[in-house]
Amino acid sequence: MVNKADAVVIGGGVIGNSIAYYLAKYGVDTLLIERKDLAAGTSGACDGFIFLQSKKPGFDLRLALESTRLYENLADELSYDIEYRKCGGMILIETEEQLKAIIELVDGQRKTGLDVKLMRIPQELEPILSGHIIGATHSPLDAQVNPFKVVLGFAQGAKRKGAQILTHMEVQAIRTRTVRGELKVDSVITERGEIKTNTVINAAGVHAPVIAKMVGLDLPIIPRRGQVLVTEPLPDLVTSLLVDAEYITLKLAPDHRGTDGLGLGFTLEQTASGNLLIGSTREFVGYDRRTTYHGIKAITQNVLRIAPALKEVNIIRSFAGLRPYTPDGLPILGKLRGVEGFIVAAGHEGDGIALAPITGKLIAELVVKGKPSISLDEFGLERFK
Amino acid sequence: MDAEVAVVGAGPAGLSASIEAARLGAKIVLIDENGKPGGQLFKQIHKFFGSMEHLAGLRGYDIGNKLWQRAMELKINVMLNTTVFGIFGDKTLGLLTTMGSEILRAQRIILATGGSENTIAFPGWTLPGVMGAGAAQTLINVHRVLPGKRILMVGSGNVGLIVSYQLLQAGAEVVALVEAAPKIGGYRVHAAKIQRAGVPIMVSHTVKRAHGRDYVEAATIVRVDDDLKMIPGTEKTFDVDTICLAVGLTPLSELAWMSGCKFIFVPTLGGHVPIHNEDLETTVEGIYVAGDIAGIEEASIAMEEGRLAGIAAAESLGYAREEATKLKKEIKERVQQLRRGPFGEDRYLAKQRIMKVAPR
Repeated sequence: MVNKADAVVIGGGVIGNSIAYYLAKYGVDTLLIERKDLAAGTSGACDGFIFLQSKKPGFDLRLALESTRLYENLADELSYDIEYRKCGGMILIETEEQLKAIIELVDGQRKTGLDVKLMRIPQELEPILSGHIIGATHSPLDAQVNPFKVVLGFAQGAKRKGAQILTHMEVQAIRTRTVRGELKVDSVITERGEIKTNTVINAAGVHAPVIAKMVGLDLPIIPRRGQVLVTEPLPDLVTSLLVDAEYITLKLAPDHRGTDGLGLGFTLEQTASGNLLIGSTREFVGYDRRTTYHGIKAITQNVLRIAPALKEVNIIRSFAGLRPYTPDGLPILGKLRGVEGFIVAAGHEGDGIALAPITGKLIAELVVKGKPSISLDEFGLERFK
Repeated sequence: MDAEVAVVGAGPAGLSASIEAARLGAKIVLIDENGKPGGQLFKQIHKFFGSMEHLAGLRGYDIGNKLWQRAMELKINVMLNTTVFGIFGDKTLGLLTTMGSEILRAQRIILATGGSENTIAFPGWTLPGVMGAGAAQTLINVHRVLPGKRILMVGSGNVGLIVSYQLLQAGAEVVALVEAAPKIGGYRVHAAKIQRAGVPIMVSHTVKRAHGRDYVEAATIVRVDDDLKMIPGTEKTFDVDTICLAVGLTPLSELAWMSGCKFIFVPTLGGHVPIHNEDLETTVEGIYVAGDIAGIEEASIAMEEGRLAGIAAAESLGYAREEATKLKKEIKERVQQLRRGPFGEDRYLAKQRIMKVAPR
């Protein structure tokens, strides 16, 4: 087994693999370590939304816009079909009250540069929508991908550029040494031996706090469960990504838990294979990845409110993934003070897929150039202190 | 709704489990997604082998009727046309009935969901006319519809042999039976029957492709070497309208996965099997498996396993503690008998491997 690398990425999800890819592209001798298998965690238990409209105007949205730009050419760059489709997306409006709040949001997003407009009759574009929906925002920039394929595409691309990926290997400890009074990353200890390195990138998602603890740091990331339903494959039924206004409230006010603790917000997309993915809940239940009867029932009732015509459609599966939640809904990106060479890229909650390319690119720039092309200051751990 | 024991699947294993547990006093809810109980028994028109205890000499549907009658006598609560779409924490089952969805809370769960047919992929395998041999058997013996007139059967295990014979009985022509292994997989007596009827059994052969535009019109077979690699130049093409695949079964185990049961991979028993102990209890306390979900075997064993799981579940609820020990011992001895012989031996050893890693 390898016993040294310029950079060790911990975590084989979409964030870790994106970072490994961009690092390898810069010629960095990169090793990615994954405890289970690629996309075995959150990245393999989510939908494929690249949804710009749910991002907070400002840094969050700016990052997402940059990420979208990278996604546009990603399939070609990786020579891998990631099922990218610029399908557009809608926030569905059901009440006058929601309409007011959404108009405000749209204004802010336009100022940050997002192409988004208000539609009065969304049924014209998506006939499946219930007649009670009084409007929707629409952005043609919203897109979808197949998350598994994004992970595998990045992984293959990284390997082609010389990165090594080791799966089914658990990190047991991270050793540090003191140089002129400063703590520095020295090596990563795994069950199969020690790997010397100066740079460790913690991309372990919901498990990132466990990795950070190995160098004595605390990360305010906690798992938040999202349940999703999968229908049988259907003919083309829905073009856009659909979310309801409650979903946006949940996104923009991270502490909002919904009326029943389920944190229910409506999401729907039709995948390349024709299945509908219908979500989702946002629940704080520790690391429990099981679906629940109440969760599934609530999601089905929600979708029937939005699209009653789906009543006869069969649900063939349900799954749940753990989203890495942070108190302000934004990821933690960048170097951590106190341990030189220790970088965090985690806590994307529901935005991991959308933000993966830009996260990978910026973290790689941080490692190689010491300074990313977009400042990550807003995403530092320090903001929580 | 509540139940002491929820039994999922009303095939030979599930019916047997329900009968034993009910007989000992437990309150049962038996659930099946089909409109009729009996699982695969009602399409089995052949006589069963084995001893009298295993109802040998009876045909599958007779056994099904017997079990069903017994279940009715015991007034077991049976929910047909009901799908268990999930098992959630705390042994809560999500049921989809013709009326809508509801919850069933159970103290014990016996999963007797059976197995599903395997397929093999080859060019043309998605054409209408390519089907599981079990599906063909259901068509002829339950629905009385002939799936096709000229059949190529793939696989010479007992399913392939028996279904070939029954297709002949139903009036189809079985053009050939191909088997990739160098020898016939199933019982000699079943093979002899179809050979006498003139069906060529071609060992070391497999299907290479199906031809046809909208449905199967022909099939090409090819000889394979010892490593199962196709030997070019040995192809033969037959005019057939149906290709039946009898290439094994896989335990139907989604509910066990969903319940958090730990699994072990045992190719002899069809793949991933929920780990279970001698009493068929899985690694999740109070959840039992019986029949093909516990490893692909045969109906006689499914019935014995069902009984065992039913008794064990009832016993754990406090019913008939003294009697249970004796009954379980008798069943275990009978199961051991059934696993004798060259076919049973491998399955016996495979089961031993599972028990070894199971919780006590």
